[in-house]
Amino acid sequence: MVFWSFLYEQSLTQNVLSWFLFFYGVVFPILLLLSVLGLKGFLEITRYESGKTFLYKLNPLTKIIFGVVVMIVASTTIWWIGAILTLAVMFLYFTLTNGVRKFVYITILNAITIIGGTWGIAPYTPTSILQMVFPNPSSYTTVWVWPSYFTIMGYEPTLTLQALIYGLQISFRITAVLDSALLLILSTTTSDIFRMFSKIKVPLAVTFSILVGLRTVPRIFELFDTSIKMQFARGLGYNKPKIVNAFYFLYAGILAIVPTMVYLLRGAKNLAISADTRGFRAYNSRTSLVHLSIGKMDYIMFVIIIGLIVLDILANIYGFGRSIPYVGF
Amino acid sequence: MGFNGISGIVNAPGELPWELVLLYFAVAIAIAFLFGKKTGGLRGFSTLDLVYIGIGAAFSVVWEFYIGAFLGKFIPSNPFINVGFLGRLLIVFIVAGLVRKVGTGILSLAIFDILGDLFHYGFGGEPIFLIYESLTYGLFVDLLIAATGGQPFGISSFKGISRARGKTTIAKASSGSEEEEEYSGNMYKPIAYGLGAIEGAIIGALWAFPDPLFYDGFFKPFLYGGYVNWGKIIFTIEAFLPGDIIMGIIAGVLAIIIARAVGQ
Repeated sequence: MVFWSFLYEQSLTQNVLSWFLFFYGVVFPILLLLSVLGLKGFLEITRYESGKTFLYKLNPLTKIIFGVVVMIVASTTIWWIGAILTLAVMFLYFTLTNGVRKFVYITILNAITIIGGTWGIAPYTPTSILQMVFPNPSSYTTVWVWPSYFTIMGYEPTLTLQALIYGLQISFRITAVLDSALLLILSTTTSDIFRMFSKIKVPLAVTFSILVGLRTVPRIFELFDTSIKMQFARGLGYNKPKIVNAFYFLYAGILAIVPTMVYLLRGAKNLAISADTRGFRAYNSRTSLVHLSIGKMDYIMFVIIIGLIVLDILANIYGFGRSIPYVGF
Repeated sequence: MGFNGISGIVNAPGELPWELVLLYFAVAIAIAFLFGKKTGGLRGFSTLDLVYIGIGAAFSVVWEFYIGAFLGKFIPSNPFINVGFLGRLLIVFIVAGLVRKVGTGILSLAIFDILGDLFHYGFGGEPIFLIYESLTYGLFVDLLIAATGGQPFGISSFKGISRARGKTTIAKASSGSEEEEEYSGNMYKPIAYGLGAIEGAIIGALWAFPDPLFYDGFFKPFLYGGYVNWGKIIFTIEAFLPGDIIMGIIAGVLAIIIARAVGQ
């Protein structure tokens, strides 16, 4: 029993607060995202910037292997190992160029993912699943009781502390993988990614498309940002209270989809022409002046990777293995 | 733990028999190779096609993992509307309308999958997802392109079509660009849009099946040991169908409009 239980026992406060929670819960990450991170923040944590620290010197394949191992460890061990991994990988962002800013961005992105993930999972998790982790349903702490009609939206009748913990645990798995995946993008040049894919014998045409996509992702955020700002500059939401601004922002975002797409696709022709005039696909393979090599840093990283695998095995032996069934998300 | 996070569980209760799944993917790969042989495989794509596919895949990634993922939080969690997935459907259909070559679907989904791994998932579970997504969703789009003889959604080349009659039955104002006028000569407009809508609806309906059937019914237990609930699978298919069909119709029409705007 929680001390605010009187709030959900009264029908009026229950209804008002449930709806507030419903909107607050779903809107909060978005508001946080729009106000703090902004679309420019997305641009910044999806785009390569040159740098000289050790992450930039690693072979891209090493970074991919690291990401995969982080994923395996996070998903096969108890949740707090995933949380520690998330934190550890987050601190690696300090070593990047403009590290502090990137660390702030990744922290915000993680916070949004964790809040959004927890909120997206907890109210919908039935007791039958929770029971696999917390065997005794009668000991669950009820945090909130929804009005009965909330079940139509797929909500469970009550929100328990255990469901929240479950949601939190799953979201730490997402953040660990997300952070290590972005690390590769942030610290590897597109040419190096190209070389990496060539090295593992991915066909040239496929690699080319991947790289076009890789370069386009940050650009999409930039174009979106411009398109949305232009709509505001033209008077969207002018003189309206500040509170509804977020909704205007979303509206402008939806309107920005088609123009952004048409703009990008129209520009595609120039890109294709410039690739063709440089003799793209004249031969089946490309000669490269730079060869990806495995250096000292890579060996250090391999040691860390092996350490992680050992940690995984030990954790499983000593009973810190995965305690939650993976229900997918 | 298995290989790359794949548990390899094939005997979970209710799980689709692996022989059946293998058979589907064997047939799908055979079809893909047959198509590839006929059209010259990757060589059949011009550089421009590859750029379109890359941009489309990037847009799907941005939509599914960033923008759509957050927009989706405005809607209560439900199996009927999946903002991220429906956005991907729309974008892939548009790319198919622009490139119009057999293999576009498979390649687009493959690139989307790899980009998704780079930006979000990490490479865990690969190559399962790559094979699964490109040979289900992607293959369906390619079957449409093959069945329509390279004119999905009724879009054929805009070049070299003489202007005829100049029927302007659709009142909706359009850009009035040259391509638009040339296009109006090609096919009576309501028929063109109607055809696009019908084709979009059919492929949209097909897109409702793989995820519940293959993912929930086989890959989820196979990869992670998830449990199989056939009641949920059948309900999910039924719940996906209306949204996917409606989005398919919109995507079919939008593919025509965007192909025209881009002048491809």
